[in-house]
Amino acid sequence: MNENEIQLKVQALVDGELTGREAEELLSRLESDAGLKALHTRLTVVRGLMADAELPRTLPESGDFHWSQISKAIEREERQAKHMARPASGANWLRRWVLPLAGIACLVLVLSLQQTTMPDLEILLGSDHELELSIEDLDVMTFNTGDDNMSVVWLDYSIDLQQDGIDLWLD
Amino acid sequence: MPEELAYSSAEEPQLVQWAKVGDMQAFEELVARYRDRIYVRAYSIMRNETLAVDLSQNAWVKAWQRLEQFHGEASFPTWLSRIVTNLCLDELRRQKRARMDSIEAMEETTGPVENRMEVEAIDPVEGLSRGELRERIDAALAKLSDKHRTVIVLYEFEELEYREIAEKMGTSIGTVMSRLFYARKRLASLLKETLKRDGLIE
Repeated sequence: MNENEIQLKVQALVDGELTGREAEELLSRLESDAGLKALHTRLTVVRGLMADAELPRTLPESGDFHWSQISKAIEREERQAKHMARPASGANWLRRWVLPLAGIACLVLVLSLQQTTMPDLEILLGSDHELELSIEDLDVMTFNTGDDNMSVVWLDYSIDLQQDGIDLWLD
Repeated sequence: MPEELAYSSAEEPQLVQWAKVGDMQAFEELVARYRDRIYVRAYSIMRNETLAVDLSQNAWVKAWQRLEQFHGEASFPTWLSRIVTNLCLDELRRQKRARMDSIEAMEETTGPVENRMEVEAIDPVEGLSRGELRERIDAALAKLSDKHRTVIVLYEFEELEYREIAEKMGTSIGTVMSRLFYARKRLASLLKETLKRDGLIE
């Protein structure tokens, strides 16, 4: 144990942080070591001086003003906490749920109207039929069988990726 | 709600109970009773009036928000004091991050010669009132570095143990002991200088 460590142990003894056998050993060492004994005494005096040495002070602003600042801060924090915890407002709820649902309902309605108006377009479909559409890059073929209540839709979409890649790179 | 008069004459535990159920007037009474004490603790650590006021206010706001967590293991002012102390330590950490602290680091690791620290002997001072001595100690505390002053405040005024100080300061018990020793040595030296200058000791 070096000298500094012993000094810190003496301090721990003064502070009551050293107990048991360690404390007893150090106490007996103090009896035979005048230097350590002197350190123990000086540290005890400094501790004594520090007891109840915190200088009393008065808040440098009026009590009313101090409280007003505290109460304002509390209100502000509570408002923020409520805002964070509050469920979505009526407008938010409308935006989040009603509008998308209304959109889907409209889509379903349009699709169902399209289905019912198909005969008006004078496309008369038999029980088994095929429809075929072919445009550049896209082929669509549907096959419907009334007996099995089954429709098959065949989509063939091809694109020359390599060509596109070259074009993009050239751009 | 109790009447206005009831707040000023109510016992502290009763005020705390009222405050816990949201009674702001009871809390205001608690603030009135302990605001100076909380400010003093903040000032002892920070040594800056504006910061000490701000941190005291923050401590009261935190206390209001955490009143449910106060179960009376320590007294209410002790609990409050812990809150403001923690806020001060956070502020010191924030300040430390914002600047280099190399000078203080050097002070603590200057090697074996400096490690052999002599503590000045201070004889009991005759003819000096407790108040006058406090003022001199306060002036000496102001001259310590943040680290050394904080460890003194936490040990001597906040009455924490080495282990608790180490936890709060995020350091080892050995470092706490070393800082405390250095702080006391420096305090004794500063105090002796002051007392000599004032002709109170030879």
